[in-house]
Amino acid sequence: MISRRSALRAGAAAAAATLAAPSILHAQTKTLKITTWGGKWGEIMKGSVLPAFEQEFKCTVQADQAFPFVPKLQASPRNDPIYDVLHTNSNEQWNSLTEGLVMPKITSKEVPNVADVYPYAVSDKIVGVTIFTSAIGLGYRTDKGLAKPASWKDLADPKLAGVRGGYIIPVNSLGQCHLMMLGKVYGKGLQDLDAAYKALEALKPIKLVDFTGQMEKMLLTGEVSMGVIHDSGVYRYDGQNQPIDFAGPSEGVLALEQVLNVTPGSKVKELAFAYIDYMLRPDVQKKLAEGVWYSPANKKVKLDAKYDAKLLNTEAKVATLIQPDWKWYNARKEDIDARVTRILRG
Amino acid sequence: MTAVSIRRPSPIAWLIAPAALLFVLFFVLPFGVMAALSFFSANPISNPNAFLTTRHYERFIDDTAGIFHDALWATLRIGLVTTVVALLIGYPLAHWMARMHSRLGHALVLIAVIAPMLTGIVVRTFAWMTLLQDRGVINTLLLQWGLIGSPLPLMYNEFGTVVALVHIYVPFMVLTLTGVIGRIDERLEQAARSLGAGRVRTFLEVTLPLSLPGILAGSLLVFALSISAYVTPSLMGGTDVLTLPMLIAQQVSTSFNPSFAGALGVILLLVSLTIVVAYNRILARVSGEQGMA
Amino acid sequence: MRTSAAPNRRPFDLGRAAYLGVNGLLLVFLLAPIAIVLVFALNPTPYISFPPVGVSLRWFDKFFSSPDFTNALALSLWVAACTLVLSVTIGGACALALVRGNLPGRAFLTPFFMSPLMLPAILTGLALFQAYLLAGIGRPVWGLILGHTVVAVPYVLRTTLAVLHNFDRRIEEAAAVLGASPTRVFFEVTLPLIRPGVFAGGVFAFIVSFDQFPVSLFLVVPKGETLPVVLFNYMKFDLDGAIAAASMVSILLALAVVLALERLIGLRAYVKL
Repeated sequence: MISRRSALRAGAAAAAATLAAPSILHAQTKTLKITTWGGKWGEIMKGSVLPAFEQEFKCTVQADQAFPFVPKLQASPRNDPIYDVLHTNSNEQWNSLTEGLVMPKITSKEVPNVADVYPYAVSDKIVGVTIFTSAIGLGYRTDKGLAKPASWKDLADPKLAGVRGGYIIPVNSLGQCHLMMLGKVYGKGLQDLDAAYKALEALKPIKLVDFTGQMEKMLLTGEVSMGVIHDSGVYRYDGQNQPIDFAGPSEGVLALEQVLNVTPGSKVKELAFAYIDYMLRPDVQKKLAEGVWYSPANKKVKLDAKYDAKLLNTEAKVATLIQPDWKWYNARKEDIDARVTRILRG
Repeated sequence: MTAVSIRRPSPIAWLIAPAALLFVLFFVLPFGVMAALSFFSANPISNPNAFLTTRHYERFIDDTAGIFHDALWATLRIGLVTTVVALLIGYPLAHWMARMHSRLGHALVLIAVIAPMLTGIVVRTFAWMTLLQDRGVINTLLLQWGLIGSPLPLMYNEFGTVVALVHIYVPFMVLTLTGVIGRIDERLEQAARSLGAGRVRTFLEVTLPLSLPGILAGSLLVFALSISAYVTPSLMGGTDVLTLPMLIAQQVSTSFNPSFAGALGVILLLVSLTIVVAYNRILARVSGEQGMA
Repeated sequence: MRTSAAPNRRPFDLGRAAYLGVNGLLLVFLLAPIAIVLVFALNPTPYISFPPVGVSLRWFDKFFSSPDFTNALALSLWVAACTLVLSVTIGGACALALVRGNLPGRAFLTPFFMSPLMLPAILTGLALFQAYLLAGIGRPVWGLILGHTVVAVPYVLRTTLAVLHNFDRRIEEAAAVLGASPTRVFFEVTLPLIRPGVFAGGVFAFIVSFDQFPVSLFLVVPKGETLPVVLFNYMKFDLDGAIAAASMVSILLALAVVLALERLIGLRAYVKL
């Protein structure tokens, strides 16, 4: 029953609310602190994806582009972390988990769209949730008379001495994936480091670079005829008539995942989960996937034909993805770094 | 320096206050924190299980990995080579600039000298890739002219690293030297010439000794800079090159081990300071001998 | 080198030709990578490449129409200007104190103030970042500027010390003998005479701050990034010519500033001290 007193009270409250409305709205304008890559990805994010999110959820998004992110998160206080959402590759998410900087699992309870993703996106090899993935395989020149590589072992072809490319393993996760792959191809499995080291030694002479952009440049200029690279790095030159192509070897391609996670100390957790949910929406996934040639994690995404042909967008295709055990690798990283440095030093 | 018999600091000493304040707040304190952290197993503020330990230092000293001591030597070696080459390149340029009479010419050389400093780290690397790689400009030209049979390995090794570092640091050397050389009274050289000394002899016995303070100052600057460089060696050196700063950067950005990085930083700083203090002693003695002001 | 005692000019001076030749080659060494960057910037291909297939201004267009880039450029210029002023005053004062102040432990103070040069800047950046967060001040622009100043002061110190070492104090003594008070001597004789050295250091400070990368990496905030940081992170992802265009614009702008400084104070005056 609505008594006069309660009606008056309600009316007074409503009046006060209306008067205070601007300040409430202002107080409700939360800030979400995220990380993001630069380049084309950053352009799409800042150009359309983030502004649409800000409008829909009535908030401001602060996107940090200054990589590296984890050292900064590490140095910031746990109860007031410098990021609410951390976007990195899978290996760094595992490092962050070890330090308690991110949450171990994100389920469809917090992020509804998780129900629609491929199994790899929330497998036990993932901390957080994968929003995109690339396939790490071999990029090669099509004008050097080389057959399309069918196996990872093709990189060790003697004809390619001095014109094959790899990465400085301590600093590059593609290089780390490659090392583990060598263990699988030449030995007993992804964790057979002895076989991997031997195979690495046999790959010399090999040109090593710091980041994938340099590898792209080496392939484009013909400095190397074959190199370890992810499919996005080759496909982004689609339509430019470059004599390079990507090959997924028969032993499988490794997953280079773009993973989102939330920091436990975040003060805007709901907004953070809403953001991850938003990034998993099919329309947002489609825009980014086609912009930078990443394979979307959401099963329901319909890509245009040319992207559909090359990216991993079906159950069958994603089944070829191999997810390394980053927890295992990170625990041994220091030793591995030292060992490979000694092997590959001139 | 005029003979100083007064031992007490003069009022001018107070001018050091702003610098001292700035350094204490923005250098000593942060580094104090970082050095302190290097004696912990993990960050004690966020990790209550962190304990005091010297294991980060032991790790470096024991060097079971076999790469840490090499990294230190590589750092010093590359620093030394870079400094010497920068000096050999910088001196002629500085001399030319200092003795140039045309204002326009001076401005143009100044532009040429400063421009490398402004190019930006990553773009510069791609430019060097274009020049130095096996299919780069230099190798292509040399092959075309028949001067070499197969491409020279100019990049992804220590050579490429030194070239790139020298390129960035020559401007510092030139600008430091040009002032000192310009201040050498040309009449001293003229006097030597009129007494019959050839140009080379005048240079060796008059100009060079008088420019020694500038040489030492410029060398010190370039050495200090090149032993702390890590971005350029990372991008230019492949794994052929692993210096201590590179190791520090790796520990911070990919191994997420700031305690060990801090320990390495302390070690690097101690080694560098020792060298610099020794250097300064030489500089002071040499300036004193020259009897300059 | 012309000397009054030179004999009649020989038609071909081998020594001088060699001298100029060597210097010419050295200039080529300095400028070659920059020429390549210019080619990258004007090359219409979608990724940076050489040799050029044409000339196009599309990358400069992209640079100037991108708020990310132009804001970063403006911030870099502003931070560099502030760093210039701060490091010149602080560093110049410090140099004077070190040379004239009879401070105890001078032999160790000079290397102490030079130490930021010897530490990998990534550590300086991380240390400052940790310190700022511990102190709870976040990452304000003045924090960035002061971080740059710490890194720039050693340069100003180095050049000013060089000038002060070679300073002829008799000029000051003459002024004092002629009746000028110590303050007046300082402001009207000492300061103008060391000014060129201080400003040479200032030029260094400006350039060092403008091109500074590792310290900025930790101390910038979203939408408040300096140009080197924006460029580095852009290039980790994309290889198009926009970065080269950004580089060329930076070079030209910074050169303009340096030349303006040179006109105003004259590094030549520094040379001719």
